[in-house]
Amino acid sequence: METLALNVTMRTQKLLKPRTHLLKSPLFPQNSHVYRTLYCQTGLSFTISCKLRISKDKSNTMAEKVSVAPSLSDEGGNTLGSGGVPSKPRRSTGGGFETLKKLPRRVLAILSNLPLAISEMFAIAGLMALGTVIEQGEAPDFYFQKYSEDNPALGFFTWRWVLTLGFDHMFSSPIFLGTVVLLGASLMACTYTRQIPIAKVARRWSFLHSAEAIRKQEFTDTLPRASIQDLGVILMGAGYEVYLKGPSLYAFRGMAGRFAPIGVHLALLLIMAGGTLSATGSFRGSVTVPQGLNFVVGDVLGPSGFLSTPTEAFDTEVHINRFYMDYYDSGEVSQFHTDLSLFDLNGKEVMRKTISVNDPLRFGGITIYQTDWSFSALQVLKDGEGPFNLAMAPLKLNGDKKLFGTFLPVGDPDSPNIKGISMLARDLQSIVLYDQEGKFAGVRRPNSELPIDIDGIKVVIVDAIGSSGLDLKTDPGVPIVYAGFGALMLTTCISFLSYAQIWALQDGTTVVIGGKTNRAKVEFPEDMNRLLDRVPEIVSSSQSMPSDNISG
Amino acid sequence: MPSSRRDTIDHIMNSVPNLNFLIKIKGFKIFMIFLTLEHILTHISFSMVSIVITIHLITLFFDEIVKLYDSSEKGMITTFFCITGLLVTRWIYSEHFPLSNLYESLIFLSWSFSIIHIVPYFKKKKNHLSTITAPSAIFTQGFATSGILTEIHQSAILVPALQSEWLIMHVSMMILGYAALLCGSLLSVALLIITFRKNRKILCKSNRFLNELFTFGKIQYMNERNDVLQNTSFFSDKNYYRSQLIQQLGYWSYRVISLGFIFLTIGILSGAVWANEAWGSYWNWDPKETWAFVTWIVFAIYLHTRTNKNLQDTNSAIVASIGFLIIWICYFGVNLLGIGLHSYGSFMLTSN
Repeated sequence: METLALNVTMRTQKLLKPRTHLLKSPLFPQNSHVYRTLYCQTGLSFTISCKLRISKDKSNTMAEKVSVAPSLSDEGGNTLGSGGVPSKPRRSTGGGFETLKKLPRRVLAILSNLPLAISEMFAIAGLMALGTVIEQGEAPDFYFQKYSEDNPALGFFTWRWVLTLGFDHMFSSPIFLGTVVLLGASLMACTYTRQIPIAKVARRWSFLHSAEAIRKQEFTDTLPRASIQDLGVILMGAGYEVYLKGPSLYAFRGMAGRFAPIGVHLALLLIMAGGTLSATGSFRGSVTVPQGLNFVVGDVLGPSGFLSTPTEAFDTEVHINRFYMDYYDSGEVSQFHTDLSLFDLNGKEVMRKTISVNDPLRFGGITIYQTDWSFSALQVLKDGEGPFNLAMAPLKLNGDKKLFGTFLPVGDPDSPNIKGISMLARDLQSIVLYDQEGKFAGVRRPNSELPIDIDGIKVVIVDAIGSSGLDLKTDPGVPIVYAGFGALMLTTCISFLSYAQIWALQDGTTVVIGGKTNRAKVEFPEDMNRLLDRVPEIVSSSQSMPSDNISG
Repeated sequence: MPSSRRDTIDHIMNSVPNLNFLIKIKGFKIFMIFLTLEHILTHISFSMVSIVITIHLITLFFDEIVKLYDSSEKGMITTFFCITGLLVTRWIYSEHFPLSNLYESLIFLSWSFSIIHIVPYFKKKKNHLSTITAPSAIFTQGFATSGILTEIHQSAILVPALQSEWLIMHVSMMILGYAALLCGSLLSVALLIITFRKNRKILCKSNRFLNELFTFGKIQYMNERNDVLQNTSFFSDKNYYRSQLIQQLGYWSYRVISLGFIFLTIGILSGAVWANEAWGSYWNWDPKETWAFVTWIVFAIYLHTRTNKNLQDTNSAIVASIGFLIIWICYFGVNLLGIGLHSYGSFMLTSN
């Protein structure tokens, strides 16, 4: 970019003479005349040079003249190669067409209204909070009892409210989804009518040509005996993009911080779009399969919306090779593993993987998660006969720990009060056995081959067969949502950056500086003061300086 | 020869039947050392923060003593290193990132407060944050070490769903976010109190000492005001300084909340990605998730109110104060109920 113009060098040789501050001399007032005329004649052709220094010792008349030359600004702007296109006034095409055209604009104006957006956000927050307070997805009877009309919560809130407004399934209720859609519309309207124009303005860098305008900024300072070029160099060193034209300087930093909020809104829209696709175009299903058995993916998956279309991968057959658990030393489960094989229609194995919690299997758009487990059966030898497969039944107890039990009948199976050996297990690791009276008989591990003698019956626990609880899903929305997530994280971080603008004007020997920023309003003046302290002061005592120092 | 070596090892194992047992004993000893170290660190950090608070109170009631202020800063740095040491110790002996239960997350929260306190100190910037962060650190630290939670001081084993690299990212980001948002919203609460009191003062000008009747909770904010007022003894300037202070509070609250908002966003999103890996869905409308989202929305509202000049300061401060309550609901309330998928380390589970 040639926009880093810092020092002005005219194409004439004459002006190259005063190179340093020290050379500032009584010569300059004469030069200034030349300077001025050149300025007006040739327009400006600036080149970038950090080495060359022009004298700051311009006379006051000079400054006045320069500020009279705004007609050059457009040309100068183009020379510097950064398109400063002024906004075009919108022209009305007139007629009845106009009123038609006005309607969307009015809708846009209403939607992009900040208080409306804020109230939408409050509404969503409130509805979500309500959704966690009211029990979700229960049968109507539950709400009849909990929110009975005899004893309404807050004096008015009964089951009629819950059921008519769909608060029993809050997060898919029309009210909630409607508010979200409205917020999405507000997001779009706000981005279109507010953020993009602001960003357009920000892209257009503009010089301020009067000291008054500069002094109106949030931060202002005046540096006597300073050079705008020095300021430019220092600002550039601090990461600013600096534009210089004649006596005016414009610099900015952190433009990304200006654009990032647009990105945040777009990312949110992307997430909403992805979420909608997820809700309408996915399949899910869960299955509990004993070790050694098969299932077909398509049988398990059920569509969630009208966009759900099955793929070829739905014909895949899944075989559970093995299901096992890892344990801590204390005996608690540390991880579940399922060894899965996938077979296509021809019976060919296309994939094999051992999945565990946090490590799902992905194949052809289908993801298989390890989510649950169960105790399928117990293989036992009774007095050396068998092995018998005893189906394990889940026993509901209070608490969320699992407990499974089975029963090995002893004696005549046709007698009315049948007795037998009960076996209980919390996991696949150890089986607790109770005798016919219900007394504790012992604990055996599967595969230990150690028989236990209960009332003369020898029982050997051969194996414990678990079943793996798998969740299956296809979700076409995930890539979009993830893209939105990435964009949202990035743009939120960038949004923290501050967009700072600085204007400066060389007014004789003094430099008037003004600046503003959109976020870091307290740090900005501190930073500016630190930067301005580094601007060198020009020791311009023309009397004391020997004039014979001047050389070509 | 490998086989002969194995024989030798077998031989040693057989000749010392209690070797296994001895190894266990040694492990237990190391464990005990860790436990003692942890106790020492906990106590040092807790007493340090108490001293810092005392110093703050002294500087409030008497004139600002520079030396005391310096020592309070040093105390906070010591606290920071103690809590860091505590977390590292736990990490080493539990062999997973120490964020698996409420106690650990509280410790991490007070660590976050102290890091928020320390960063501006090293940048040589004096601001009002320190008056918020130091008491916040002591309250969380005190709560974590107090009797209520003693049963869950033991670092718990990780359930299968928590065994993921995402644990570090998600939980640390969430808690850093909570800490920053809590600080920011407390600044906003301070702003509200000062604004409210200013109005009240106009109503009853005669009663100047009304301020002094305000209770302990507001003492820190008085302290802030003293900081600002220290340069002047002119009461006529009071209103000017007060409006300055309000602006400053609003500004710092805004910056800290913006920072916390970034952490919260990253935390929620990484949690969503993790959920998609572990549970098969990136969003489940689980109560904790939902409340985190509510928090996010409330602070998004705050950030939007800041963009509008008409709504700045008081209105945005009210929103931030609402956010303050909502963070606590999200952080504690949901765990207290022990519902949903995020119920790890809740009170209920451990008491069972």
